[in-house]
Amino acid sequence: MPSDAHLILDGVRYRFPGDPLETVAGVDWAIPRGAIHCLLGRSGCGKTTLLKLAAGLIVPDEGRVRIDGKPLRGPAPGVGVVFQAPTLLAWLSALDNVLLPVSLKRRPQAPDRAAARDLLAAMGLGDLAERRPAALSGGQQSRVAMARALVTEPGLLLLDEPFAALDALTREELQDDLLRLCASRGTAALFVTHDIAEAAYLGDRVGVMAAGRLVHDGAVPLPRPRPPGIRYDPAFGAVCRSLRAIMDGAAPAIGRAA
Amino acid sequence: MRTRLASALLLAAVLIAWEAWCRSGRVSALVLPAPSAVAGTLWGELASGRLWPHLRVTMTEMVLGLLAGTVLGLGAGILLSEWPSLHRVLRPYVLASQLVPKLALGPLLILWFGFGLTPIVVITALICFFPLFENTLTGLDQVEPAQRELFRMLGAGRVRTLLRLKLPSALPVILAGFRVAIVLALVGAVVGEFVGGRQGLGASIIAAQSVMDSSLILALFVVITALGMAVYEAARGLEALILRRYARD
Repeated sequence: MPSDAHLILDGVRYRFPGDPLETVAGVDWAIPRGAIHCLLGRSGCGKTTLLKLAAGLIVPDEGRVRIDGKPLRGPAPGVGVVFQAPTLLAWLSALDNVLLPVSLKRRPQAPDRAAARDLLAAMGLGDLAERRPAALSGGQQSRVAMARALVTEPGLLLLDEPFAALDALTREELQDDLLRLCASRGTAALFVTHDIAEAAYLGDRVGVMAAGRLVHDGAVPLPRPRPPGIRYDPAFGAVCRSLRAIMDGAAPAIGRAA
Repeated sequence: MRTRLASALLLAAVLIAWEAWCRSGRVSALVLPAPSAVAGTLWGELASGRLWPHLRVTMTEMVLGLLAGTVLGLGAGILLSEWPSLHRVLRPYVLASQLVPKLALGPLLILWFGFGLTPIVVITALICFFPLFENTLTGLDQVEPAQRELFRMLGAGRVRTLLRLKLPSALPVILAGFRVAIVLALVGAVVGEFVGGRQGLGASIIAAQSVMDSSLILALFVVITALGMAVYEAARGLEALILRRYARD
C-alpha cells in the first residue's frame, strides 16, 4: 500500500448497533493524490457506509482511516462530500449554497464570491447564481452541490451516487464536468456508484464491493483524458463486461489485477 | 371576487332575516336584540369612548401573553429538541401542564398575583406556550438527516447548525404554531377576564350580563371578532414577509 496516498483505509470494519453482520467487513484501500477511484456494488453492499467511514462521519470499530497521513477521528476537514441528494438549503440562492462551507466558518469575502461564481460558471450555471434550488432542474441542483463540495478546494472529494437520480444524458454531462474539474485541480475522488458504465468511465481504478468486502480492485485500462465518445468504444464495452462478470461472480475472493 | 361577493351577500341575508324576525315581535329584545339595536349600541360605545380603555386592556393582555408564551414555547422547544434525554424526562410534565384546564388555574393565579393584568397575562401565556412548543419541536426534528450530515461534515457546531439549518428549515412549521397561538391568545385574554378581570372586553361581557344587556354583549362579540381577524391577518402578513426570505421557491 503506498504510504503517500491521500486516503488510506486500513483493515476497516464497521457494524451498525443491533446488526448481527458487519456492514463493512475489513476493507483495505488507498487512493493516491489526484486519482479517481470508483467503488461499485449493489444496493446494501456497504459502499455508502464505507464512504461515511472515509468521511469520518462514522468511526470504524476496527482498523483505521488516514487522510494525508493523519488518522481520522471525526468529520474530515478539507474533504468535500457530495451526497445522494443535492441537500441544498432551499432558502439560499445557488451562489450562497456554494458558499455555505465558507460562510459556516467566516463571512465570505470578495475572493470567495469570485471563486464560487467561477465554479458555477465552469458548470454552465453562471446566469443562475441568484436562483433558489426550487427554480433549478435536478441536474442543475447536482451541479450546485458539486460546486459546493469544491469551493474550499479540497484535495479529496467523496461522492455517494451523486448522479443516480438524473437522466442518462444529464448524468454523462455531469460526469464530464467532474472529470474536468478534478483534473484541473488535481483533486482525488472516491466515487460510489451502482452504475457499471459510470464506474468504468470515471475511475482510474474500480473496486467492487459485495457483502461488506472489497472483492475486486483493478485499474481501468482506458486512456486519460477520456473523450466522451469512448463510451461507445469496444474497449469500454469490454471493461464494463468484465466488471459485470465480477459483480455476478460475487465470489468474495480478492482478485488484484494490475 | 365572485366568492367575496357571495359571502358578503350571505352576511346581508342573515342580518336581514335576523332583523325581520326580531321586528316580527316573536322574540323578546332581551333574549335576542335586532342587528340594528346591536349596531346602535356598538356605535354608542365607540362614540362615547367607553370601549377604548377596555379594548386597550384586552390587547395589552393578549400581546404580553402571546409574547411571553412565544418566547417560552420557542425556547423550550429548542431546548428539548437539542437535548432529547431532557425531552424524555420532561415530556410528561409538559403534557400534564397543558392538560390542566388553564381557566381552573385562574383562582389560584389571582391568589398569587392579585386582580389585574398579571394573572390574565399568565393564563394567556400558558395557553400560547403549547402550540409554539409542539410546532418548534416537530419542525426542528423534521430536518433532513442528509442535511444534518452535511453540516457535521462542514464542521458546524450545535449553535451554527441550529441557527443556519434547523431554525430556517423549521420556520414554516413554527410560524403555523404562532398563528394558532395568536387565535388562542385572544381567547385566553377574553376568557381570563371572565375569571379575574376588572377591565377589558371579557370583563365588560360579564358586566353586561349582570345587567342583562344582551345588545352590549353582542356588540362586544363583534369587537372581539374584529380584533381577532385583524390580529390574525397581521400575523399572516408577517408570516408571508418572513417566509419570502426563507421560502422554498
